[in-house]
Amino acid sequence: MERTAFVLNALKMMVVVGIIILVGNQVGYGVSIVAALPGMVMIIAIGLVSLVLAQEIPLKLPAFAYAIFIATLLALPFSPTQDIFLQFTDRINFLATATPILAYAGLSISLQMDRLKQVGWKLVLVAIFVFFGTFFGSAIVAHIVLSLQGII
Amino acid sequence: MSSNKSLDDSSEETIGNGRWDPLRTAGRWSFHLKAHLLVLLIVIVAEAIGTLEYSVGPGAVVIIPMLYAVVFGMLLSYRALGAYITQLRQVAPKEVSVISSPMIIVCLMPLGVKYGTLVAPSFWEIVGAGPAFLLQELGNLGTIFVALPIALLLGLKREAIGAAVSIAREPTLGIITDLYGPDSPEGIGVLGTYLTGTLLGTLFFGLLGGLAPLTGIHPLALSMACGIGSASMMTACSASLAQVVTAVPEEQVLSFAATSNLLTGLTGVYVVLFVAVPLINKLYAIMSTVIGGGQ
Repeated sequence: MERTAFVLNALKMMVVVGIIILVGNQVGYGVSIVAALPGMVMIIAIGLVSLVLAQEIPLKLPAFAYAIFIATLLALPFSPTQDIFLQFTDRINFLATATPILAYAGLSISLQMDRLKQVGWKLVLVAIFVFFGTFFGSAIVAHIVLSLQGII
Repeated sequence: MSSNKSLDDSSEETIGNGRWDPLRTAGRWSFHLKAHLLVLLIVIVAEAIGTLEYSVGPGAVVIIPMLYAVVFGMLLSYRALGAYITQLRQVAPKEVSVISSPMIIVCLMPLGVKYGTLVAPSFWEIVGAGPAFLLQELGNLGTIFVALPIALLLGLKREAIGAAVSIAREPTLGIITDLYGPDSPEGIGVLGTYLTGTLLGTLFFGLLGGLAPLTGIHPLALSMACGIGSASMMTACSASLAQVVTAVPEEQVLSFAATSNLLTGLTGVYVVLFVAVPLINKLYAIMSTVIGGGQ
């Protein structure tokens, strides 16, 4: 897909996603679509820039990282944009932005069904222990270091 | 690295090799309409149900809307209920799943922005906790010590190395597949952990986030632990954790998890390549003579 086609399609899809989130935000968190619209326009703009940057900058960073990075810059305590940016984006509940991701993710899992059939129950069981080990390994180290630092 | 259609936030593939092609709308309007309307419907139902919480001591089983959404999505797709119900397969044909795959990346943008707005106000707290953030990345190696013995006890051989080396999101899948080959026992092992994470990871971490305070580990440390390299797992984990924790404000739980996740994304490849892979091979050599009866 060439660059202009990519930008155009990405914009269309960002708008689609924005509409879905605005509806979910109204249904789940009672924020009217009109009130949340200006914040969503900001989010769509940052999202589009992030998608394009991930393609253009040869750092192999995911677009998700650019989105966090740009929004962080705009919302830092010493950024002149902090007040206005937070005032509008606060109207969009962060859980409302997560729900559609998982809906798409769920729908796309069927594509992996053949590969899933190769995986036996033993590997699934080992994976569960991997989840536990990764989580509690990090949690225990973090707890110890935070204690040593006197933060907790 | 990997040619797998990812469920996660990796953008290793470029415009050229077709990853984004399903997003073309020209001549494909009906498929796009089906995909996005179906997602809208799933979102409306999931948000209408809302967050459910069942207390368990100081923790809770927390079920957030995104967990319903992933289950509804899985059930409605063409290889699940669609395989048995013809009408459903017409509403959600294979093309809906094909479009959904790159849509995950697009859909992650608003979440990324929201995380930015959560991280920034906690900027100084995060800088202050810098050492903990960096060192807990090494804590991810905990998986090797927990999962490798289990894998060997189950009778797995070299598959154990791929399966237990890391939580295996896209970068690890790429590294292990590159090192050992996709059809090697190690390659099959890493695929097993990757796909289990894809299928069950969000549900697992959503539940774990609510129950983890039962261990007595400080909520801030648990927040950091939620950042294990997948945006959806991290979100499920930290949202559930924030729901049950009162000692730390919600924004701080979410921002610490997001920062840790970002850090895992940046350092994970190097930790796996230079620490986890050599370490697990050493441990395998030792443990397999004790548990697995040698190779």
